Amino acid sequence: MGGTPHSVQAQFDLNKPVTVTGVVTKVEWINPHSYLYLDVKDNNGNVKHWAFEMAGPGALRKAGLSRADRGGLKGGDTVTVNGVLSKDGSDSAFIKDVKLPDGRVFTIWTNDPNAR
Amino acid sequence: MNGLGRYVIGAVLCLVPVYAAGQGATARIAGGHPDLSGMWNGGGGRGLVISADDPLGAYLAARDGTLLNFERDNTLVRRADPNKPLYKPEFWEKVQKLDQNGNTQDPSYGCMLAGVPRMGPPVKIVQTPTELILFYVSPPAQGWGDQYRIVPIDGRQHTRLEELDGTWKGESIGHWEGDTMVVDTIGFNDTSWLDIGGYFHSENMHVIERIRREGDTLTWQATVEDPDVLIRPWVMNSRLLRLNPDPKAVPEETLPCVERDLSHLVNKEHH
Repeated sequence: MGGTPHSVQAQFDLNKPVTVTGVVTKVEWINPHSYLYLDVKDNNGNVKHWAFEMAGPGALRKAGLSRADRGGLKGGDTVTVNGVLSKDGSDSAFIKDVKLPDGRVFTIWTNDPNAR
Repeated sequence: MNGLGRYVIGAVLCLVPVYAAGQGATARIAGGHPDLSGMWNGGGGRGLVISADDPLGAYLAARDGTLLNFERDNTLVRRADPNKPLYKPEFWEKVQKLDQNGNTQDPSYGCMLAGVPRMGPPVKIVQTPTELILFYVSPPAQGWGDQYRIVPIDGRQHTRLEELDGTWKGESIGHWEGDTMVVDTIGFNDTSWLDIGGYFHSENMHVIERIRREGDTLTWQATVEDPDVLIRPWVMNSRLLRLNPDPKAVPEETLPCVERDLSHLVNKEHH
């Protein structure tokens, strides 16, 4: 993506979609990819720490997720994320869209490269 | 319509408004030379590229709507560019190995600088009678962030190469050749690459950048001389930028860079 040398294919399986609902623990605004971290409870009540790779603030703005809306990504909020799973078996994924606590859904990864 | 068709049409559509924008009078300073000062394009990334022979100038649409095709198609187009640095035969194997292992060998991975000339054209120029101050912003998905260069244009000569520490941006000195600003740079490290593809260089690299303003367009073109490793100088594809029409525009601050992906890669696929 963009300027990073490695392909999404080297890390994520585009044929393995995943949906995860969890509590935001941290949003990390960094290059080359920002990260959204969720604590997710499984059926047995065990908490897993998930990491979702996503684009930077500029791309989120273009997705309609303004800074004000980003308040919905603050720690403690429960959000639902769709993405594609990592290939290495870790609890991580490449984010496609995020559903905020108020029900609004923002598509972050679109197929339009100019959206990035 | 196939992806290439979309690419060609997209490139043609891009040409029209930009050339029209370049037809105004070129702003000049008191001495008569063009005034290069200004924000060039939006301030983010590598700038608008409209040269039809630059495969980076337009992105293919995502064929079948998949990110996989988007990445692979654009990689093919990029690699099909016939304008490559030509290495001496004894370095072919090295270039291939660096390329094959680009995910770990490319210094742009892991948040290192791009350096000159890989950092491309500036997003903002401040021109004074004695120096150019050039500002750069890395593309969204590259980590090298905000960078600047101070380029004296006061007629001084280069420091002797032996006395320069090799750096990412080297020692740059500019002078006018007619209406073209020529920025001459030596004193590099041998860590930076010229581009994706294993394109390394030696510490003796010499880069000549030509910056020319015509109306509200700016043409940036760089030539890489490195007789230690290249058969002949590499004349890089030129880039054409447009003056940002908003006089209040400022470059966007970039994020700090921390690479989290490297430990999760399962294969060597890259661009």
